Amino acid sequence: MKFKINRDHFANGLAQVLNVVGSKATMPILSNVLIEAEKDQISLTTTNLDLGIRCKIKAEVKETGSVTLPVKRLAGIVRELPNVDVTLDAAPNHQVKLTSGGSTFRIMGIGKEEFPPLPEFGDEKAHALEQSELATMLKSVAYAQSSDETRYILNGVYFNFKDGKLSLVATDGRRLALIAKEMEIPADGSGAIILPAKTVGELTRLLDKGAKVKINFNDRRAAFQIATDKDTSGLIDHVYLYSKVVEGNYPNYQQVIPKETHQRIKLERELLLQCVHRAALVCSEKSNSVKIKLSSNLLEITAQSPDFGEAHESMAIGYSGPDLQVAFNPTFIMDPLRALAKDEVFFEVKDEVSPGVFKTLENFVCVIMPVRLS
Amino acid sequence: MPPVPRPLPTIVHLDADAFFVSCELALKPELRGTKCAVGGRERGIISSASYEARACGVYTPMPTQRALKVCPDLVMLPHTSGLYSKVSRQMFDLCETLTPIVQRNSIDEGYLDLGPCGVASAEELERRVRVLQRRIWDELQIPASFGLATNKLVSQIASKLRKPRGFVIVPPGTEEEFLAPLALGKLPGIGAKTEAALAANHGLKLVRHLTARGDNELQAIFGDSWRDVLATARGQDDRPVETERDDAKSYSQQETFFTDISDFTEIERIAKRMVDELLPSIRADGKRVRTMTIKVRYPDFTQESHGRSLETATDLEAPFYPLVEPLLRAAWKKRRPLRLVSVRFSGVDDGAAQLEMFAQLDEKRRRLAGVLDKLNASRRDAVVQHGHQLAKRRGVS
Repeated sequence: MKFKINRDHFANGLAQVLNVVGSKATMPILSNVLIEAEKDQISLTTTNLDLGIRCKIKAEVKETGSVTLPVKRLAGIVRELPNVDVTLDAAPNHQVKLTSGGSTFRIMGIGKEEFPPLPEFGDEKAHALEQSELATMLKSVAYAQSSDETRYILNGVYFNFKDGKLSLVATDGRRLALIAKEMEIPADGSGAIILPAKTVGELTRLLDKGAKVKINFNDRRAAFQIATDKDTSGLIDHVYLYSKVVEGNYPNYQQVIPKETHQRIKLERELLLQCVHRAALVCSEKSNSVKIKLSSNLLEITAQSPDFGEAHESMAIGYSGPDLQVAFNPTFIMDPLRALAKDEVFFEVKDEVSPGVFKTLENFVCVIMPVRLS
Repeated sequence: MPPVPRPLPTIVHLDADAFFVSCELALKPELRGTKCAVGGRERGIISSASYEARACGVYTPMPTQRALKVCPDLVMLPHTSGLYSKVSRQMFDLCETLTPIVQRNSIDEGYLDLGPCGVASAEELERRVRVLQRRIWDELQIPASFGLATNKLVSQIASKLRKPRGFVIVPPGTEEEFLAPLALGKLPGIGAKTEAALAANHGLKLVRHLTARGDNELQAIFGDSWRDVLATARGQDDRPVETERDDAKSYSQQETFFTDISDFTEIERIAKRMVDELLPSIRADGKRVRTMTIKVRYPDFTQESHGRSLETATDLEAPFYPLVEPLLRAAWKKRRPLRLVSVRFSGVDDGAAQLEMFAQLDEKRRRLAGVLDKLNASRRDAVVQHGHQLAKRRGVS
């Protein structure tokens, strides 16, 4: 195999696949990138068996073929090469010669045979979305995923294609974020998957390359074809992301979204975020909560930790309901506020043991459970 | 500086007599008057002996085997787990009907301060404490000895003076006089060895021998602590009765087996029972715990332990049940029977509790646990148990 490639294109391609490596101890080949050269392009593939990414870059292929190389070190080298023209030449014994200007590297590779192939998809359920839209939706809910491995069902984002809309849901059992978008769902296209947190991270990172993203899935796995028509740094066709899905039943999230509205207040998102952020500066690991107090046209936020001190913030709001107070983990308030883009949000509360609910006019709901003050 | 004399001996020391045995006798009154003791049979030790058994030379802590030699007709009673702490709680609850200032020193012993109770005379004071002594007997069938004095030191010595069912009043101002004829070993801090050494080397046998010596001499004998020793010998003490207990850092329970056990399911059942017995006290303290540690001990006294933490602290039994088996397997690696198993909960949390969304089940469990705790606390013998506690009956009944 031999090809000539633009250094920056090569570096960009490697950057797309770099994060997905397996543990070196069990299968050393999983720390390698599979490089395949054909016609006028090379493809780069990495996998950790649960998740795989493949991208294609234009190149001047002189001799087709393939090899695998340690991806982290290769990416480090390519970034630093002195000349924009790079030549990669792989001998049949998998030894690779990388030249650029006056630099030459010889790198030991492993043959393609040991590299586990990425499964290709056939007749699964398929949907297409705008990349920017999916990126916004993921950002609106991803923070609420659980990182507690004992609740693995919650270690991901739930995609539910049903009844003419796509809903994305994430929850860690103490808060839940949901965003929905209307779209055409053909009868055979409805279904749901839990996309693992790691895949969600990779997908979010990749969703700025072009206009469309195609999603295919079945009960066990999902694949995303991310068009690269906006990317000018050598990527061609699409980036292919393959992932296993979290198998199991996602909890019935509808039941935790309050059906009735008690006290609804309209809030300036930025202002509330700043107030909660400042108040939370006095919180400690042991007393990690802020108290929200509502009274006539006034919202007060207080926080305290016994060994440090206390904070008090106040905001003028439009409110004429009864006085009430409720405490929350400040992160639970700040995360949705940070993820949203609208200037105004609605916040609904009932009493000190009932959940608080953030809403926007765009089918977004974030339910946060309070902290019971002792 | 001598303590300010109090007009009334309002500091009361309560010391239950042969507490574990008394708890057992309350359930088995037919054994009253017999030589009996609570303790592990086979390789265990005596943890409490009836006064009849003590008369035969049984003392605590004495290896059971030896006790059975000196007193062959000794009736051995196995430990009834959970019973003693429950009776203790009831006993101190009765004390708190007399005064809110109650210091629980241990399971069977504590101090009461009747100072702020507005008692007008020494007679009235005595009457009230005697009523308490009678109530503890009438309601719990626990005999207890009382010492009344102006401070903790003297009241404690007084309560132990005429056991069982003692009632000793040391009138204010007579503390030194009261202690003077007593053996030095009665003073706290002077153990059997020190007592023997003081008698042999310095001719000090009674408290009055000590108070009679000059300062220089006492300094030579006791070193830097001579002033404290002298103050103690004179019955001087100004420590207050403290109601605040330090918050528990952990909750634990252990059991030494009747005979070594090699049956895994049996040990697992015992460990689960400990979980069932510890969580109610954690709930009663308004705490939650996060980490469970299981310790096993082999017959040669080598031991191994293993612990694991939940993601969040809880006050329910259910989240810990699934940890019992893996922790026990991790701790019990040698293919040998066990002599002892213990369960310990740490990572105690009493802060504000984050509420959960999908926790309707937990809320149901919490309500159920609350009802069970109430039921079990109102009766002396546990009335409701988890099914896994019934698996197999063991030991003497």
